[in-house]
Amino acid sequence: MIIQDVKKLEERSIYIIREAKLKFKNIAALWSMGKDSTAMLAIARKAFLGKVPFPVVHIDNGIDFPETYAFRKKLAEEWNLNLILGKTKIKPVGWGLACCGETKTIALKEVMKEYGFDALMMAIRRDEHWIRAKERYFSPRNKNFRWNYKNQPAELWDDYSSKLDAKGHIRIHPMLDWNEVDVWSYVQKEHVPVVPLYFSRNGYRYRSLGCTHCTVPLKSNAKNINDIIKELEATETDERSGRSQDKEKEYVMQKLRALGYM
Amino acid sequence: MLVKKITLLGHKDHGKSTLIGNMLILTDRVNPAKLKEAERTSKQLGKRFEPGFILDSFHEEREGGLTIDTTRTEKIPHKDLAFEFIDVPGHEELIKNMISGASQADIAVLIISAKAEEGIRDQTKRHLFIARMLGIRKLVVAVNKMDLVDYKKEKFEEIKREMTKFIEKIGFSKDTIYFVPVSAYMKDNLIIKSKNMKWYSGRPLIDLLYINAKKEEIKKGKELRVILQGFIDQTKTVIAGKVVSGNMKIGDRVRILPSGFESRISKIVVKGANVKRAKTGTSVAFELKDPIRSETRGSVMADKANAPKLRKVVKALIFVTHPARTNMKIKFNNIDIDCNSLKVLKSIDTRTGERKNSNRVNKLDAVEAEVELDRKLPFESYDKTPELGRFLLYSNNKFAGIGIIMK
Repeated sequence: MIIQDVKKLEERSIYIIREAKLKFKNIAALWSMGKDSTAMLAIARKAFLGKVPFPVVHIDNGIDFPETYAFRKKLAEEWNLNLILGKTKIKPVGWGLACCGETKTIALKEVMKEYGFDALMMAIRRDEHWIRAKERYFSPRNKNFRWNYKNQPAELWDDYSSKLDAKGHIRIHPMLDWNEVDVWSYVQKEHVPVVPLYFSRNGYRYRSLGCTHCTVPLKSNAKNINDIIKELEATETDERSGRSQDKEKEYVMQKLRALGYM
Repeated sequence: MLVKKITLLGHKDHGKSTLIGNMLILTDRVNPAKLKEAERTSKQLGKRFEPGFILDSFHEEREGGLTIDTTRTEKIPHKDLAFEFIDVPGHEELIKNMISGASQADIAVLIISAKAEEGIRDQTKRHLFIARMLGIRKLVVAVNKMDLVDYKKEKFEEIKREMTKFIEKIGFSKDTIYFVPVSAYMKDNLIIKSKNMKWYSGRPLIDLLYINAKKEEIKKGKELRVILQGFIDQTKTVIAGKVVSGNMKIGDRVRILPSGFESRISKIVVKGANVKRAKTGTSVAFELKDPIRSETRGSVMADKANAPKLRKVVKALIFVTHPARTNMKIKFNNIDIDCNSLKVLKSIDTRTGERKNSNRVNKLDAVEAEVELDRKLPFESYDKTPELGRFLLYSNNKFAGIGIIMK
């Protein structure tokens, strides 16, 4: 496991977040309260003189962990976030495409429509999934949220000049270059608050936080960030191995993303 | 750890994805679940195990047997550096994706298949031309599929001879070019020296990448250049930007271009903290002593005494992906600028490097052209300040090519 230069990563993320905010009229960020999107908001605060300068959207299944909700309430107050909640309407049946795919994407579409956002910032990383390794920093979605992955725009150097489809939106990915261990290293250095579920209790911890239905903890004694970084250096399993939606079939993630999943 | 980015180059099916796949497997960078998935899907498609499937993850890519879009890999540590590979498509219709990937690279690996009917092809040379244009100076040429030509020295030498001529013709320096015979599939000469080619006295690929990565970079200009992104506060006093050259410090007398507005820097904020100075590469927020009223987005800030000249007409080398010449725009510093005219002076065949006095514009070839914009802008040559010497070209809102400013 290689820890990249997080100062450099932060530098680029600041540039991308500013570029996105200044380019689009009405941008929002997705916040799952996970470590990546929380780190992204911490970086946005640094980029914009201490304040997150755009609304923060949580697509809420209603079945996240109590610790996650408590964290949301506390941080939204502390950081003075303009929090928008998108509630999913359909009761989750089972898991995978039907749950995370449909209900969350429908709820996100409703929020986007209601507020008229033309761009959406999210904290996906290349190393999370091999489909995400194919993403651009600025990635267009059409009005049905479809990702035309077979014809992505040219994106060179530091130029993010994607043309906006009249009725679609652009996804902005400021954390694309970061790896899991880099985020932890950053969280540690910058004292970014995280949900306590990431740390071991009774021999288990969550490595990736989804909702209560599709996330399982892993065996771990990592009680602090140093332990987590050590654990990551030794592990052979995927970060999202505790997330059942990813395991269903070979191309599930590709399908989910093509349909507009976050 | 310092990460060097390495782009693959080369014609389709010459083994770019396979080479990266096996580099990752050999250095233990692929987690078992992902490896199993690649094995399973290879089998499902009735193919022998394809290491390239670790990277080619769209089902269309696997079924079609070609890379559609660029991807990045896990980082491979080697001594005090780490290498991150950028895979790119080799198909000519997908060249915009290839350019997107290659534009982020520090070093290139050009793959040429030694197999009888493959060899040096259009995309072999075209990709190299593009890499040179993008400013990549460090190159390793991997002559691949040596197992299919009985690991014969003659085949390697033949390709090496022919490519050396072309490489020098398009302006690479000999000092930063290496050749290595490999079999990406059989893992010869990737990480350790192959026993199958005892005649080869050089080092395996990973060592050549390391040696090349360690060679000194060409020095760029030191004058202060800050590309401005715009105001980041309600009162329009704080400006965000990126220092692309030189250092900025409080008290500097600066000029903003194209407006010509002059003032002094009164405050610098980097990552939320007040600082006295900021160096090249930093994303800054700053304030000026005097209130600025003009638009700042897409502008350039420089030392008052040493600012770039404003120019409406520039001479540029343009690689053309789409030869239409109507309703042309360039993207420069993230803003759109209308093109008044584009006068082609020379046309360059990117498969041969040959330059002709012609005003023809062919798809996937390059031209030297005089570009006239609708306003004066602070352009500089690509060699001096790359960030102020490059642009994307659009025609009718469709990506049409990339340009670098020659002078």
